[in-house]
Amino acid sequence: MLRKKSIIDTGSLSLEDIDLIFANADSFLEVSERDVKKVPALRGKTIVNLFFEPSTRTRTSFEIAAKRLSADIINFSSSTSSVKKGESVIDTLKTILSMKVDLIVMRHSDSGAVKMAEQFVNVPVINAGDGKHQHPTQALLDLYTIKKIFNKLEGLKVAIIGDFINSRVAKSDIDLFERMGIDVTVVSPAMLLPEDFSRMKVKHSIDDVIEESDIIYVLRMQFERQNRKFYPSIMEYNRFLSLNKDRLLRMKPGSIVMHPGPVNRGIEITDEVMDISGEPGERITIEQQVTNGVAIRMAVLYLILS
Amino acid sequence: MVSVKEDNNVKNILIKSGKIVDPIKRTESVSDIYIKNGIISEIREKIDITGDNIVVINADGYTVSPGFVDMHAHLREPGFEDEETIESGTLAAIKGGITSVACMPNTSPAIDNQSAVRYILEKSKNMACNVFPVAAMTAGCKGINITEIGLLAEAGAIAFSDDGNSVKDSKLMYEIMRYSRQFGIPLILHEEDSSISKSGLVHEGHYSTILGLEGISSLSDDLMIARDIILAARSKARIHITHLSTKNSVKMIKRAKEEGVNITCDVTPHHLFFNDSCLTTFNTSFKVKPPIRSEEDRMALIEGIKGGVIDAIASDHAPHLDTEKNTTFKLASFGTIGLETLFSAAFTKLCIEEKISLPVLINLISASPAAILGIDAGKIEAGKVASITIIDTGAEEVIKKESFISKSKNSAFIGQKLKGKIVCTVSKGKLAYRDKCIKERSIS
Repeated sequence: MLRKKSIIDTGSLSLEDIDLIFANADSFLEVSERDVKKVPALRGKTIVNLFFEPSTRTRTSFEIAAKRLSADIINFSSSTSSVKKGESVIDTLKTILSMKVDLIVMRHSDSGAVKMAEQFVNVPVINAGDGKHQHPTQALLDLYTIKKIFNKLEGLKVAIIGDFINSRVAKSDIDLFERMGIDVTVVSPAMLLPEDFSRMKVKHSIDDVIEESDIIYVLRMQFERQNRKFYPSIMEYNRFLSLNKDRLLRMKPGSIVMHPGPVNRGIEITDEVMDISGEPGERITIEQQVTNGVAIRMAVLYLILS
Repeated sequence: MVSVKEDNNVKNILIKSGKIVDPIKRTESVSDIYIKNGIISEIREKIDITGDNIVVINADGYTVSPGFVDMHAHLREPGFEDEETIESGTLAAIKGGITSVACMPNTSPAIDNQSAVRYILEKSKNMACNVFPVAAMTAGCKGINITEIGLLAEAGAIAFSDDGNSVKDSKLMYEIMRYSRQFGIPLILHEEDSSISKSGLVHEGHYSTILGLEGISSLSDDLMIARDIILAARSKARIHITHLSTKNSVKMIKRAKEEGVNITCDVTPHHLFFNDSCLTTFNTSFKVKPPIRSEEDRMALIEGIKGGVIDAIASDHAPHLDTEKNTTFKLASFGTIGLETLFSAAFTKLCIEEKISLPVLINLISASPAAILGIDAGKIEAGKVASITIIDTGAEEVIKKESFISKSKNSAFIGQKLKGKIVCTVSKGKLAYRDKCIKERSIS
């Protein structure tokens, strides 16, 4: 089903696509546990990691995924490329296509840039994050992580905390979560919400949701994507939105904390919580998200290219 | 002189035969009020209690009102203590019958952080009347960065304002409105388009022209009010426009209210009392912001009160030193003091001249501003800490500079013959102020 298909947004993934990705991820998760972490599934295929915006974990995750599938992967990032010399996105794409690649993983700071690229090229494109728009593989790995922990999706309550308006993760997650019957509440201050948020369930303080949620999904405060800063201060953020120890301990049994990374320690999650040990520490699933991310990306690459 | 200290030990007060005004029901009725340990214990037609430690105040022929609420005053602390302090300002307030004051944040440093709010609350704890800090909406009232509205509200700020300035940046103003709505707290807006007002000194009109004083067009207020009504309609924020001065602003606010915008407004006694013909003497006491405008504007403000568009009367008490006022019109500071003349100036203009009923006026300076600020004041009710003002509505006096308690004496009303006099104020449950005349009629 996914063969030769691009993944630009979560909306284009059917429920069957998602089931298929998850089934493949289960077996690729096992590959990553082996001593020899490699299968020959994509031998001879060439993938380009085309990153016009800085990234460590997403780029590395795709790179490891491709390598475990025996594909050749080349990293192209804007800081080391001719983009700095003034080459346009289209010219860069033309150059890369001339080298006969099989798939492009692309990230760009402008919303819609990956869609534009996809329309221009004749190979599948995976969106690895475009501006404030979408980050579909993040949403897939988040959903996959939740499914593995809870063994169900329908009826779960998730609260997405923080910088909603600037977050591509939030928009991708909410689309998938709602389609799976997960109850979503967005916890965000007015200036980090759209002007009209009447279509969403919205609260303004983390204290309003902390005790009842199965999943506290903490967003990164996207200072880099805020053209102007309207939120008053970190102290105000800590008072109304941060996940601190007191709040972590008030979460209901079996509930978890997720974050797409990288965490701004001391802003959306306190330093103390990040390093907490014992049972409360087990609630924090950030590392599982990263591990599952590799399996999800292996599954996606495999299903598109095999 | 104010008699705070001498009566500090008085535990119980009996106010006899006063005409009690209920500003909400708009009624007046003669009754006695007994205040025991600072709390109103009884309101009844005839209360006869004798015993130790009771002061009996004979209020026969006087009006007994809830203590006044002034929602706009500059107490100048911290930073301008030579002009006014919380102590001198609250003493001036009780002399004016005011038992609750909202103080504006354009101090130095500005009241734009939790510590500053707590400082005001701490300092005013033992003062003659209640003080409610209004915190800045933007850091330093500079209109650039939003303040910690959530934390400031928790620290005790009752409203937010950049008084003295308008937030020019419309997007920022809009975000402040959206955010303030989250906390259900009102924004008190000083409306001035500085690109219009610039270096202007007085109302732009006939008098500014003949006197050669640079004008401030009424567009300055009107443009900003129009913008903020549009932003408030969209954000559903709770806004309060302070010190109205123009005819058009009354019209716009009336319409906004009809359309369901969450808006209220106030006017000062000096904008109700004077028109710009007062400027011919070049008396810098009349240099205020917004400027005292034309007779047409003044009449529109009075109509705004009669028609119920205007919700409150506030002093905009703005103390300035003699050196700041005894200079040319151009160099003088803007502002007039107003705590001590709040009632008498408004009473003279509205009740005596315009025949507006006394309960209507009292509502505008007690229950109505209390409701806007969300504070428990403006009512005479058994079980509540007593805040009561006794008025001799028949009294008349010419206002003299020497009679002011405020550290600054820059009153626009000096030399005016004003009717209605505050003769006694019970504040925070204590006998805070008694005029000579009532002392002679009291028994202790």
